[in-house]
Amino acid sequence: MGRIKVLPITAISDTPFSITKTGRWRYETPEFRNKLSPCNEACPAGNDIEGFMVLTKEGKFREAWELIKEENPFPGVCGRVCFHPCEFSCNRKEYDEALSIHAIERFLADSQINTKSEKHQTNPKKKEKVAIIGSGPAGLTCAYHLARMGYSTAVFEAHSSPGGILRTGIPEYRLPRSILDHEISDIESWGVEIRTNTSIGKDIAFQDLKTFQAIFISTGAHHSRNLEITHEEGRGILSGLDLLKRIRMGERPSLGEKMIVIGGGNVAIDVARSALRLGIRTVEVYYRRSREEMPAIPGEVEEALLEGVKIHFLTSPIKVIREREKAIGIECVKMTLGRPDESGRRRPFPIEGSNFQVYGESVILAIGEVPNLSFLPQEVPVKDGLVQNDETGLVHPKGIFAGGDVSNPSHSVVEAIGSGKKAALAIHEYIRGGSLKEKFPMIRVGGKGTVSLKKYFHPPEGETNLSVVPFKEINTDYFEHLRRISNPSLPIEERKGTFKEVYAGLDRKMAEEEASRCFTCGTCNMCGNCYIFCPDLAINLISTKNVYEIDYDHCKGCLICLEECPRNVISLKV
Amino acid sequence: MKKMMTGNHAAAYGAMLSRVEVIAAYPITPQTQVAEKLAELCAQGKLNAKYVTVESEYSAMGYCIGASTGGARTFTASSSQGLVFMQEMIHWAGGSRLPIVMVVVNRGLCSPWTVGADQTDSLSQRDTGWLQFYCESNQEILDTVIQSYKIAEQILLPVMVIYEGFYLSHTVEIVNLPDIELVDSYLPKYEPQYKMDLENPATFGSIAGPDHYFRFRYEIQKAMEESKEIIKKAVKEYEMIFGRKSDLVEDYYCDDAEVILVVSGSISGTSRLVVDKLRKEGKKVGMVKIKMFRPFPKEEIRKILRNAEKIAVIDRNISFGHGGIFCQEVKSVLNQGKTKGSPLVYGYIAGIGGVDITYQLIEKVIDYTYNEEPPKDDIIWAGLTYEGQVHEYGFKEGKIFQD
Repeated sequence: MGRIKVLPITAISDTPFSITKTGRWRYETPEFRNKLSPCNEACPAGNDIEGFMVLTKEGKFREAWELIKEENPFPGVCGRVCFHPCEFSCNRKEYDEALSIHAIERFLADSQINTKSEKHQTNPKKKEKVAIIGSGPAGLTCAYHLARMGYSTAVFEAHSSPGGILRTGIPEYRLPRSILDHEISDIESWGVEIRTNTSIGKDIAFQDLKTFQAIFISTGAHHSRNLEITHEEGRGILSGLDLLKRIRMGERPSLGEKMIVIGGGNVAIDVARSALRLGIRTVEVYYRRSREEMPAIPGEVEEALLEGVKIHFLTSPIKVIREREKAIGIECVKMTLGRPDESGRRRPFPIEGSNFQVYGESVILAIGEVPNLSFLPQEVPVKDGLVQNDETGLVHPKGIFAGGDVSNPSHSVVEAIGSGKKAALAIHEYIRGGSLKEKFPMIRVGGKGTVSLKKYFHPPEGETNLSVVPFKEINTDYFEHLRRISNPSLPIEERKGTFKEVYAGLDRKMAEEEASRCFTCGTCNMCGNCYIFCPDLAINLISTKNVYEIDYDHCKGCLICLEECPRNVISLKV
Repeated sequence: MKKMMTGNHAAAYGAMLSRVEVIAAYPITPQTQVAEKLAELCAQGKLNAKYVTVESEYSAMGYCIGASTGGARTFTASSSQGLVFMQEMIHWAGGSRLPIVMVVVNRGLCSPWTVGADQTDSLSQRDTGWLQFYCESNQEILDTVIQSYKIAEQILLPVMVIYEGFYLSHTVEIVNLPDIELVDSYLPKYEPQYKMDLENPATFGSIAGPDHYFRFRYEIQKAMEESKEIIKKAVKEYEMIFGRKSDLVEDYYCDDAEVILVVSGSISGTSRLVVDKLRKEGKKVGMVKIKMFRPFPKEEIRKILRNAEKIAVIDRNISFGHGGIFCQEVKSVLNQGKTKGSPLVYGYIAGIGGVDITYQLIEKVIDYTYNEEPPKDDIIWAGLTYEGQVHEYGFKEGKIFQD
């Protein structure tokens, strides 16, 4: 027959013509629109969690690790000590159990323990130098990203070894020193110079740092807050943070048979659990609010209780009991909860006449840590004991920035890392004469303050402000109910007398299996459902680009693809 | 070669001689032997065709459409309920301009159940874009099947070859089977203008916009009109080769007739006898046999009938709410006004559901047409008895004819 040359007498056509384009019937239009997974939005460090889950599932651990390292130099640390807000927002928790993101991140770091970052991405060396005060998670993250951008960085550390709170405040059983050393040495391998035993204000004056083009203050919060109660000053009262530091430095102080810990944060719990490991028989924690309001990581509280720590809620110390000047106990009062205060937690009130006394050989104060800001010059604004900075970390227009616990009362490692990253970008913009604030809309990851370095250097095409996939948009018909695979933990009886890490990591198979539970919310993983279900064959596989595309000439807008997409990648076009 | 055979077997042999390539049919009384005989011929190797057993008439026509789109000469047969079951596909075949030939053995439609002859089934398909030929004898059935392929494949419209159930389908007559070589010379292999071809993919039967649709409908009507010449030529050529004349509109003693009887199908033969008898008696009676119902032979009918005084149309069918369908069609080409050339038309409904239309009844029809003026009603019910009584606007046949 060949090609039809004359107009036939009935509907026969060897070429498409407008009327065969049945897409003209469409009044609703689906489109592929990648969205944000709630975990990515929730990660203050800006990790591409959904991205590294996909790589982990495929066994590409090196690539997954490098993906994390693009945003965060501390996967081994975060995989151990982070309070993992990602898991609290994981859509999977609405279905069965949240993904073990935390454990997978740790697995990835551990799997690369013998490797270093490759230098091939190093930007050309820039002449500008940046001073960073403090080598905690904020300072080192800032230095790491600046070094990757090509800046010279000098990190000033007062202590003999770098790491800040990671080294001095977090017990070995949660964060082994070898892991921290490995990640710090990887940061150093990017050309970050760490000057230990160099205290700003003592060894070098703050003003002398003016030779640097920018300064990042990240000295953390290393001073225990005082209770401000009767007889507080004197022998027998120890600071929780100091105690943790001493233990971390190898000291094994003799603290008696029974210890009283005051406070409800991570330091209180770390002290209590460390004390048990030191052989103290009874450890009692007194906290003035209820368990719900405890700032400590819930999993850590759980472990502490399992290990035998006793926690007394709704009790507040009012007086230290001293015998021959040495503290031998405290007098407490029972509390009740009233209306929420400015922190959103219910404010505790003492119940009159409910006083009681408890005794112990040592009393540890762990009711909060505050920064020491005495070394700072006048021009650095301070309020409520914190350095005042804006969202980009900027403190002073003359190139002074701050991040981490020195300016943030929430005291979390991951937020410190996030602030270090933002400051690195802000410093880069400052040196170039730009403003990070203007770039924020482009680099934001959701609406919780997280930014993406990857988006900064490789702006994505099209939409930048992606919406977050809510659970109701996940088509759970395509997911089996599966138990969460968590880190195996050391049996309770084996924890006594040792600072051996409590959690063992996942193995390769567990990590791959657990990563396979990921819904991959909002990102097309080429599952092919849309392709299979489209009744009009209007979804085409573009094999050269490995993507699906909608053939709008023939899409009739039935939206079956939208319904059948397991992960909300297809949306109604508006 | 002359053989004794039923109308159904004549139809089957007509298909065989046409060398049909695909047969898809579903059995239904009174058509069954058409399919049966073809299956037998295929099984015996006498016919090299793909015989497809389908699960319904709907599928049968669907299969035929597919086969014909693929370029095969395609045949099927049905009746009554089966025919109306495939109706959607019948329209599709017409719209797709596929030269399928289908034998329709007339049978009354249900409900109530009946197997008696009645043309309402095939006439209910008159608007489907198919040509319709109503046959009078078994020989005519065979000849018409062969001619139909010749016609259909030129004009690209499907054809129904129609005859009444039992009166022809199950009645044995002498049929002259032509030599297949002769048929081959008359009917060469079908070479479609367009066909489904994997090497040259195309869309068949896709959507057409209003403008195209309108034009395609016009094309069907145009093909119907133009087909008349092609049909005449095909029939003439057949006559030259096989020696059998076949009129699309047969004019029998009409030249000077005062009353002309208009009939179709198997009653044509009986009517001829009545005309012969009345002519002997000196009555100026004529007869028209309409074989070709679609396209409707407007010109021919107008020409033959316009000089008569009265026309008596006998319909073995009824369009409820109006009347006999042949009668309507005849009126539509005649009654242009009460001027000359507009004879008075009498519409008779007879033989519905297989009731016999006898010699006497036809005589009575002519008698009534002569004597009643104007007719008592639009519809005269010939032979209808109701609770033993003759219908108010009708009559029973008279005494049995003895000759």
